[in-house]
Amino acid sequence: MLTAENLCKAYRRHAVRVPVLNGLDLEVKTGEFLSIVGASGSGKSTLLHLLGTLDAPDSGRILLDGRRIDNLPSRDRDALRNRVFGYIFQFYHLLPELTTLDNVLMPAYIGHSVVGWWKARSKWRARAVELLTKVGLGHRMHHRPGQLSGGEMQRAAVARALLTSPRVLLADEPTGNLDAATGDEIVRLLRDLNREDGVTIVMVTHNLDIVTATDRVVRMVGGVVTDDTGARKPAPFHAPLLAAV
Amino acid sequence: MYKLLLCVRYLQTRYLAFICIVSVMLGVATLIVVNAVMSGFSTKLKDRLHGVLSDVIVDTDRSDGFEINDTLGKALTPDEVVARIMASPAGPKIAAVTPTIEVFAILQFNFRGQAMTKPVRLIGIDPEGRAAVGGFAEYLVRQHGHARPSFELTPEALKQHELNRQRRERADALQVPNVPDPKPLVPDPAALPEPDDAVMKRDMPVTKLNGAVIGYTIAHFRWRNEQGEVVEEAALKPGDDVTLFTAGGSQIDGGRIRPVFGNFLVTDYLKTEMSEYDQSFVYVPLDVLQRLRTMEGRCTAFQIKLKNYEADKKDVVDALRGIFDPRTGARVATWEEHQGSLLAAIDVERGILNLLLFMIVGVAGFSILAIFTMIVSEKYRDIGILKSLGASNHGVMSIFVCYGLLLGTVGCGLGTALGLTITDNINEIEMFLTRVTGKAVFPRDVYYFKDIPTNVDMVNVAVVNIGAVAVATLFSLLPAWRAARLHPVRALRFE
Repeated sequence: MLTAENLCKAYRRHAVRVPVLNGLDLEVKTGEFLSIVGASGSGKSTLLHLLGTLDAPDSGRILLDGRRIDNLPSRDRDALRNRVFGYIFQFYHLLPELTTLDNVLMPAYIGHSVVGWWKARSKWRARAVELLTKVGLGHRMHHRPGQLSGGEMQRAAVARALLTSPRVLLADEPTGNLDAATGDEIVRLLRDLNREDGVTIVMVTHNLDIVTATDRVVRMVGGVVTDDTGARKPAPFHAPLLAAV
Repeated sequence: MYKLLLCVRYLQTRYLAFICIVSVMLGVATLIVVNAVMSGFSTKLKDRLHGVLSDVIVDTDRSDGFEINDTLGKALTPDEVVARIMASPAGPKIAAVTPTIEVFAILQFNFRGQAMTKPVRLIGIDPEGRAAVGGFAEYLVRQHGHARPSFELTPEALKQHELNRQRRERADALQVPNVPDPKPLVPDPAALPEPDDAVMKRDMPVTKLNGAVIGYTIAHFRWRNEQGEVVEEAALKPGDDVTLFTAGGSQIDGGRIRPVFGNFLVTDYLKTEMSEYDQSFVYVPLDVLQRLRTMEGRCTAFQIKLKNYEADKKDVVDALRGIFDPRTGARVATWEEHQGSLLAAIDVERGILNLLLFMIVGVAGFSILAIFTMIVSEKYRDIGILKSLGASNHGVMSIFVCYGLLLGTVGCGLGTALGLTITDNINEIEMFLTRVTGKAVFPRDVYYFKDIPTNVDMVNVAVVNIGAVAVATLFSLLPAWRAARLHPVRALRFE
């Protein structure tokens, strides 16, 4: 479904070129829950940004259903981020001025003009309320992010990412800022979404405990994929790979 | 949709934005108030300038007035000239014409036993004719608004004149010399030249009781008492004597100018609230001034009132230039051309003041630039989030441009309300400030206006508003462009 071919990406820091991805190849299959692990600086987050068209590779290609997406005009890439990809970040990244409900509705606000929004507002509101209830925040809809706990904020971020029913959920260290119990709760939520709604999830994480809940684990070292559990079963079967991380 | 939502939320939650609103508000309010006051002064000044002048003025600097002859070479009288004007193509467009004489003079009168003199502009008029061409009767104090004003003396004025006469006689009777004067009281008649009856008759002061309308400031003194209040006292009351000295006589003396003088009694005051007029204008009957200056049947100016000034002024001026030959020193001008430099100066002053005051809005613009730059830095991460959710560069830019527009609009709305409120209550505010500071903000003895004049021009208010909103939007463009160019990945990593 989502394919990365020979991806290369480097950043410039004070005129020094720092390579991050060095010819990375990866294929994400429809409906799978993939986790990417690796040490800091291995290029996990950069890969996620490239897959979700937030950034463009220096070379290589990214294909969605066989169609190249990395070189699309910015307008088309904006539309992809709005409807096809959903992002979850380590620091939740909710907008502090808006209520939880408005934060969840933001992708719909972005995708519609004032008139378009006015026409479809009840449909989107119902969807947002449904998602917030699903993630257990039905009673916190009118609270601002500052009034929520870390776990609640991350659940709100998950609801926001799911609003437009994206085909791929890109999660960048979703438990990185949460305690173990809350982190497990978030992973369980993602796991359920994947199983029940068939959402394809690509999750970058440091936390080796949570990858056991995923279908497939990929390890990155030095900007390339070094190990891939492939289509093997999750949980205990990953043990040799995890030991190597 | 998100642009509008975030604009409104940023406006509600960013208190820094209120500084921008206040800057715009103060700039707009100041511009509206200053423009209203300037326009009020300007309108009042124009009214006054136009008030004492008729629509079109024909005048000459020739001491003995116009020289217009008929086909046989006979000089035309003012009435014949008026008839000629009315028969010209300009005639049907003219509502009224009146001849006048305007000369400089010295006014002399006695105040508390002292002889006082003042330079004045002496104008000989037919009061009814002058009132018909506009702007004379409405400035008279006693005969305010009379359709047929006159120089007639009221019984009170005659009584005052009689009182003055008796007072003078009593004073003369008291001046009995103690020591006989060694010089003969009467010079030796043999030493005097032969009397010329014509010259004696001419040089004798006019003995008939002629009325004169005196400028209000000439006849009144103002000063501040110990309490700092302005006190006004009439130095010349109706019925008081004044003597006017001027030049005349060129017609019979072959071009030589001679001093002449005449006695008049104050019959009314002219109060235009224009200090220039109130302190220099003295009106006397036209026929008396003609006799005094020995220029009977002549005049130095024609005041003309048009039926429709704006529509006909050019045609009438062109037609009159055909009658009054400029080579003889005659000038034909509209009242605006007559006061051209003064009116142009008012417009220039207003323009410069507007330009300078718009700098305030410019300063507000720079505060918007600075504050928006801060807000964009503060919102770095939010911009990254919006872009990750599919917001375009153009959309992010629109948020901040809309924000600037909204701040400008709110600032302008509040500024307009504040400006109009201040303008509406400017005299109360002025009185309050005078009471609090103990210093007159608007000294009435300087301006001769009872109140600060204001005139709110809604077109001007609209221009100020549009300008201020444009400045606010323009200065938000740079921070908005910076926000739009922000790379989403860098913005998301910003903590």
